[in-house]
Amino acid sequence: MTPDQQFIRTERPFEWTDLAVFALLLTVIYAVVTVAREWTGPLQAVAEIHTEPRYLPLYALYSLTRGLCAYAISFLFTMFYGYAMARVAGAERIMLPVLDILQSIPVLGFLPGFVISMVHLFPHRNLGLEIASVLMIFTGQAWNMTFSFYSSLKTVPGDLVAVTRLAKMSWWERFFRLDLSFAATGLVWNSMMSMAGGWFFLTVSEAFVLGEHDFRLPGLGSYMSLAIERGDKHGQLLGVLAMLAMIVFFDQIVWRPIVAWSQKFTDEETGSAGRSWLWEKIRRSRIWRLGSSSVGFVWRRSAPKLNGNATPQERPRHQREFLWRWLKRALIGAGAVGVLFGFARYVHLLTTLSMTEWLHLLSSTAMTFLRVASAVALASLWTIPAGVMIGRNPRWSRLLQPIIQMAASFPAPMVFPLVVGGMMALGFGLGTSSIALLLLGTQWYVLFNVIAGASAIPRELWEVTRLGQFSRWMRWRTLILPALFPSLLTGWITAMGGAWNASIVAEYMKYRGDTLTTVGLGATISQATERGDFHVLAAAVGIMAVTVVGFNRLVWRPLGRRAQTRYSITN
Amino acid sequence: MATPLLAVRNVFQHFSLAGGKSVEILHDISLEVREFEVVALLGPSGCGKSTLLRTIIGLEKPTSGEISYRGKIQTGLNPGAALVFQNFALFPWLTVQQNIMVGLTNLKLTDTEREQRVRKVIDTVGLEGFEEAYPKELSGGMKQRVGLARALAVEPEILCMDEPFSALDVLTGETLRNEIIDLYANKSSPVNSVLIVTHSISEAIFMATRIVVMGAHPGTVLAVLDNPLPYPRSEHHPEFLKLAQRVHALVTQNVMPEEPAVATADQTRRVIRSIPYVSLVTTIGLLELLENEGSMELFELTQHADLELTQLLLVVKAAELLGWVATPGQRVEMTPAGREFLGADINRRKQLLNARLRDIFVFDLAIQVLQHSESGEVHEELILSQLALHFPHERPQRVFRTLVAWARYAELFKYSSTRKMLYGLAPDLTE
Repeated sequence: MTPDQQFIRTERPFEWTDLAVFALLLTVIYAVVTVAREWTGPLQAVAEIHTEPRYLPLYALYSLTRGLCAYAISFLFTMFYGYAMARVAGAERIMLPVLDILQSIPVLGFLPGFVISMVHLFPHRNLGLEIASVLMIFTGQAWNMTFSFYSSLKTVPGDLVAVTRLAKMSWWERFFRLDLSFAATGLVWNSMMSMAGGWFFLTVSEAFVLGEHDFRLPGLGSYMSLAIERGDKHGQLLGVLAMLAMIVFFDQIVWRPIVAWSQKFTDEETGSAGRSWLWEKIRRSRIWRLGSSSVGFVWRRSAPKLNGNATPQERPRHQREFLWRWLKRALIGAGAVGVLFGFARYVHLLTTLSMTEWLHLLSSTAMTFLRVASAVALASLWTIPAGVMIGRNPRWSRLLQPIIQMAASFPAPMVFPLVVGGMMALGFGLGTSSIALLLLGTQWYVLFNVIAGASAIPRELWEVTRLGQFSRWMRWRTLILPALFPSLLTGWITAMGGAWNASIVAEYMKYRGDTLTTVGLGATISQATERGDFHVLAAAVGIMAVTVVGFNRLVWRPLGRRAQTRYSITN
Repeated sequence: MATPLLAVRNVFQHFSLAGGKSVEILHDISLEVREFEVVALLGPSGCGKSTLLRTIIGLEKPTSGEISYRGKIQTGLNPGAALVFQNFALFPWLTVQQNIMVGLTNLKLTDTEREQRVRKVIDTVGLEGFEEAYPKELSGGMKQRVGLARALAVEPEILCMDEPFSALDVLTGETLRNEIIDLYANKSSPVNSVLIVTHSISEAIFMATRIVVMGAHPGTVLAVLDNPLPYPRSEHHPEFLKLAQRVHALVTQNVMPEEPAVATADQTRRVIRSIPYVSLVTTIGLLELLENEGSMELFELTQHADLELTQLLLVVKAAELLGWVATPGQRVEMTPAGREFLGADINRRKQLLNARLRDIFVFDLAIQVLQHSESGEVHEELILSQLALHFPHERPQRVFRTLVAWARYAELFKYSSTRKMLYGLAPDLTE
């Protein structure tokens, strides 16, 4: 931009976007005050949930705030855990499997610990309960962000690292200007996935029974669970609409602009994929320009000061390394003692279970396994052909991608009762219906990955199959299925992990005053939480984690290696 | 003479491989860079010249030996050097201006000084108008200009460049080469001394006032030649050609030592032990080139084959190892064996190769291991560890890849990359 143009720009009168940005600021301030009043209020284990529609915006605000707080924690967790895992020598050998296990533990596995400890910490304020709820949402968000950040850090180009070293950048500068920037694209996409993942268990995170205590926090999730319990179809529908509105609003106001902004961190020329009307407006608005230029000013001002303090990096650092080594050993030692202690306690807990309880647990696991496998198989059955069709056609994928994304980020458990009602009218029990529920929750992962995989198949290979006049079956066998295999595998792993977790809400639900349940591991976990039977809960959560991780290790990982060596499209 | 700007003394560099082994990349390197000179590090690929450059700059620590800058022994980064990378190394999310600014991050400068410097180098390398562009919007030549500007912005005493033109097309490379020489020759420009890594003999002679010729496996300094030709230089000038021939001879002598003029099978086993990393198809292409004339000068061949000498020599070496050519002096002559191979059909060619490869040490090694295996299969680890044992100066993976490629072509034995196994040794038909 030439100085002249800049001059003309600033001379323009206020635009409506400027006003809008102002209004947004005021709204945020009001929202913060409202939420703060609720959180610091006296402890109300069972908040009164109003079913009148006019409460819905407020509830949406509460839920959104919880989601955002959880996201902030997820982000911090990702920074620390991901960085340590990638950069501290030897750390990934321990931290990677731990993350793998954490990822496989369903939200109810964390619930008792969070709730009891937090309510204990803040016995008279709502804050404790709120934190527990936020932490539960966090467990649905954090893990994939951490994995993404970790793998970005592992692939930072060596030449760029050399540039930061030659420029004698301090640790902070390198972290912000290289590591974080390089990871930005992946982090943004995974943040979107994470927020969606966090909503999935919103009904559980905001309304749950633990032993004799019934806990409810005002929010969309608790609104929904109340409407479901009462069999209030009208209320359910309103709740679904409110949730949808919140997701669409958040997508347009937050994610689209962020995605558009993050395009600058990619190396490729981008098309219209990452465009956002709001980002265009904001970037042109006066407030943004004022804000960003003053931030830049402060940054440049403070930069030399930072350097002043920056110690020369390349000095002999035996002493620091020595200290660091011992600190690391002490940390590992303490961690090992803690883990041993916890494990001993856990095993002790398990020994109290009777033989019949174990048998029941194992048969439940088998049942849920069958449901999970069928759900993934059914999902593949429709998503593979549909995904290939969408992926091959750029126009369709451009049109459908945002819609699918929206559908995927809608928490499926909220529509479970509607589906179950329909299935029951057709004469199916919950045992069968829950397969449909799992399908509803996890098919998107497969679909996303199939679309991505199909659009990455080089055009030349399609042309070869056309020139060779391949039959439809031949084309699928020789080109499409092998080419899809790596991305399909990613989809299956995510879908299966998600389905295991989703079973806790699919196999057990309160519906019109009744409790619907079927034999399954998810139902066992839900029941155990509600009864406050921590022995069974611990055993069941343990079994689920072991099953998921074991299946990943024994089935998915060998397949993944094969996918990488044989079916990777770039050779 | 005043103390040199930079002195490298007895530098050794080892890199560790998986399994606790290590490979020697640099062996006893000593050299100097003085003020106002352009030094070229010239050598075939894999001779460790890039590693040497990174060691000089301080990005790598030498295993032993020392590097001093203006008489002071260097422990960390070289304070007076800046680096231009082969693949540009630009931050995709920063504009041209911001990318250049990166180099200045931690210099004690005021904001106005920073801006002035950036404006100056943008002007120097011809990037006006591109200040706000992102790297992804630029062509390769413009990207490398940004890389150069970033290095120049810190006003280095030694401008280091790691094959800066090899990722560019020929014409763009030509332009940038001339521009850098202009910068160097122009006394008012900040460029003082230049240290450039290259595998191209003509590039080295075109640019350098002194050429350090390096040999490979491990990297050593073969010779240091002065190049007093005045700028601007022309590739057709007789002095240029004379110097080129001298460098040719030096490089050739290193890659293919003269002693066994015509190598007999016995001698080959002892003298030439490893195999050059070239494909057999390329090597057969060399025979096609020689078909009519029967023999050619090396220099002439580089022109016909459109290859750098350092690359061509590897091909010639492969052909010599296979007994297809002999190399008296600077000539390459096709042998009767070579002519027989060229005239044969594809099946006969495989037979001939099959018999010939058995006489080469590396293949013999693999065959022995295969013959001693009861199942007739051998895991690649076994061969790799053997290779590491016999060739301490080469990366076993690279030798192994060539070994497999040649053996597959000759149908000598098979290899499964999924099972990582060698198997299916062909019967020896010569007996």
